[in-house]
Amino acid sequence: MSAPDANSGGGRQQQFEFSIGCVPFQLQMSDARLFRAASLRYAAFTGAVAQPIEIALNESSFVESLPAEFAYNFEGACLRTDSRKTRFDGVRNDYALDSLLRILLSWKLTGRHGFLLHAATVIRNGKAYVFTGKSGAGKSTVASLSPKGCVLTDEISLLRRENGQWQAHGTPFWGEFRAAGSNTSAPVQGIYRLVQGAENRVASLRPRKLIRALLPNVLFFCSESEATRRLLEIVGHAAEEISGYELTFRKDSAFWEVLPA
Amino acid sequence: MTSKPSVSWQKNPALAWREIDDATVIISPTDSVMHELNDTGSFLWKNIDGRRSAAELAGLLAETYEVAPDVALTDTQALLDEMSTRKLVVPIPATGGDLR
Repeated sequence: MSAPDANSGGGRQQQFEFSIGCVPFQLQMSDARLFRAASLRYAAFTGAVAQPIEIALNESSFVESLPAEFAYNFEGACLRTDSRKTRFDGVRNDYALDSLLRILLSWKLTGRHGFLLHAATVIRNGKAYVFTGKSGAGKSTVASLSPKGCVLTDEISLLRRENGQWQAHGTPFWGEFRAAGSNTSAPVQGIYRLVQGAENRVASLRPRKLIRALLPNVLFFCSESEATRRLLEIVGHAAEEISGYELTFRKDSAFWEVLPA
Repeated sequence: MTSKPSVSWQKNPALAWREIDDATVIISPTDSVMHELNDTGSFLWKNIDGRRSAAELAGLLAETYEVAPDVALTDTQALLDEMSTRKLVVPIPATGGDLR
């Protein structure tokens, strides 16, 4: 984490750099309370990065001179990005900051052949098992029933195609597990659509069924046609190139026994 | 209501779509609604080019799937009407007027 570097009006401007799924960010802010909260929240993901996406937080003196490439309002907080800079305004707490960061990341990933997915990801034997589903499907249950230290995230996974291979990255966006995700990645073994049942069994999904399972769980907030086309192309590649399964599971760790190695 | 066989159709230009397996997945960016077309729907979708009429599309369907022309026309019009209701396709006025 870099040292405070400037004064900006009401408070001393501070900044720190971090990356999520190899997407580099630099947060700049004058609010000491938010700085502390953000530093804690993204501690596992901090470190010097090259050519970060600069985000000015609550810097009201910043005046837009370029057309917005993407803008989004979320519960009173707003995100605006142009070809030079990104700004988050109206951010009152780390929850709002976290939400805008997810929104920005989901948009930036379409230019990096990746996407965010409501999914828990667990590493076993060096491979990432991705478990997807809506709230209540069992993502946090799967995470809690997996060996400690192997959970990349219990809520939001980042999938990216890198050098011809799909990688799953941990994110700092957590769910009921209430622990920061792990800042590591692994090649994806498979994506599992979660169904709770009376027994543990696994069945293959064709790409057509996998994309149907994926799309409702993809985080994406841009309503612009071209960005949506890029996203659909990326998720389509994932459905064609990653093995898909439906996992029916009981709430015990025995489900691991039916998963392919 | 069934549309006229002579009416030409085009895909809604605002949509994102992709073929996968033998199906077509379509997303409406404004409301994030996902639509899925089966193989017959996908065949029609691929051939909707802004010029072909329902009758011409039905002719292609009859030839490819070896069904009777009247059955193909009925099926094609039903599918186009359903797609139109979902705002996946839009009719082109026979006069060739400005679509904006």
